[in-house]
Amino acid sequence: MSATLASPKPASPGNAAAGVRVANGRILRLVRSGPELRALESGQVDAVLDRATGTAFLLPDAQRALAAAGGGIANSLLAALPRADYESLLPALEPVALASGQVLYEPGERIRHAYFLGDAQVSLLTVVVMERKSLEINLIGREGMIGIPLVLGAETSPVRALVQKKGSALRMPAASLHEALRCSPALRHELLRYAYAKLLQARQTAACNRFHPIEARIARCLLTTRDRVRSNAFPLTHEHLADALGVRRVGVTIAAGALQRRKLISYRHGLMRILDGKGLEAASCECYAIVRSLAG
Amino acid sequence: MPRKRKQKASSRVSARAVTTVVVMRLYIANSAPNSAKAVANLEAICKEYLQDNFKLEVVDVLEFPQRALADGILVTPSLTKLSPYPSAKIVGNLGDRASVLHALGIKH
Repeated sequence: MSATLASPKPASPGNAAAGVRVANGRILRLVRSGPELRALESGQVDAVLDRATGTAFLLPDAQRALAAAGGGIANSLLAALPRADYESLLPALEPVALASGQVLYEPGERIRHAYFLGDAQVSLLTVVVMERKSLEINLIGREGMIGIPLVLGAETSPVRALVQKKGSALRMPAASLHEALRCSPALRHELLRYAYAKLLQARQTAACNRFHPIEARIARCLLTTRDRVRSNAFPLTHEHLADALGVRRVGVTIAAGALQRRKLISYRHGLMRILDGKGLEAASCECYAIVRSLAG
Repeated sequence: MPRKRKQKASSRVSARAVTTVVVMRLYIANSAPNSAKAVANLEAICKEYLQDNFKLEVVDVLEFPQRALADGILVTPSLTKLSPYPSAKIVGNLGDRASVLHALGIKH
């Protein structure tokens, strides 16, 4: 039936039962009786579906097996941890699918979960209420996490976190992250290093937005997005670029047109394609190389 | 899209093979251990008892959770027999062959 499936690994009823317990009772609330509970208790279950959230929870054994079969961990911050530290986080990490346009936090909102991104991408936007405008401070992908204020001791979000590209992420409740930061020096070090890198990037971007021409900033933004998605082609609207750079849309259209005439990019039907990466790097300001060297 | 598979006829023919087409849907979580086991166990049962006479759709709940929820599935792996009547559901890695055969209405 399927030649692509990994070799079955013997199930461990003991481990599965332990996994059920450490899932904060959530799994047991979802499966209370019947053949499902019997299968769960005998270690024959990989995932439990939650009608309330419309998602599937992988049990820790299944999560470990899939991470091993996939040849690695999607999120770079988690992948950088020692294996034992990573595995200790698994019970609190919940795989979620993020939808394009979904808002994870609004400014001033209490942060309930941190998100370690897989192939999803999330914009962090500073919202200027009086002007009814927002400016993209960071675009985060698999190299990063959403919820840095939690690492730095704050409980509310200063920015809007908006999903730009749908995809996967691992979600962790705020309380679990605090506990994990206390128990794992490696996680604490990794996330503080990441927070510091983001601070330096924000400083660089602020200077870039003030001093560099739109064309160079667009080139920087496109190259950064390319690095996040690991592809030379990605969907992108002029509106998003204008929001990301804090400029008017007409400015974006003129500058992107100039890059297109130089055959560095092509843009059609909402799909941005980088035709000449080296040329685009030459067209960008030095901020791209600096921000890249700081990237988590 | 959910994968649809139809098994080719096996060279090994069971003396008690059924002739009506059994329509089933298997809900799995990618290649997680119990899901992989369920696929392997079902594959062996189909080969031995159903040969060409079955239709199987495999739904990965990590990709299509809403589809599984709409079908009333709570955990994976789960196998549902959609036809012939009566419908049936088996939960777990399908390692208990007698129970699976009973649920599928296969005499053995």
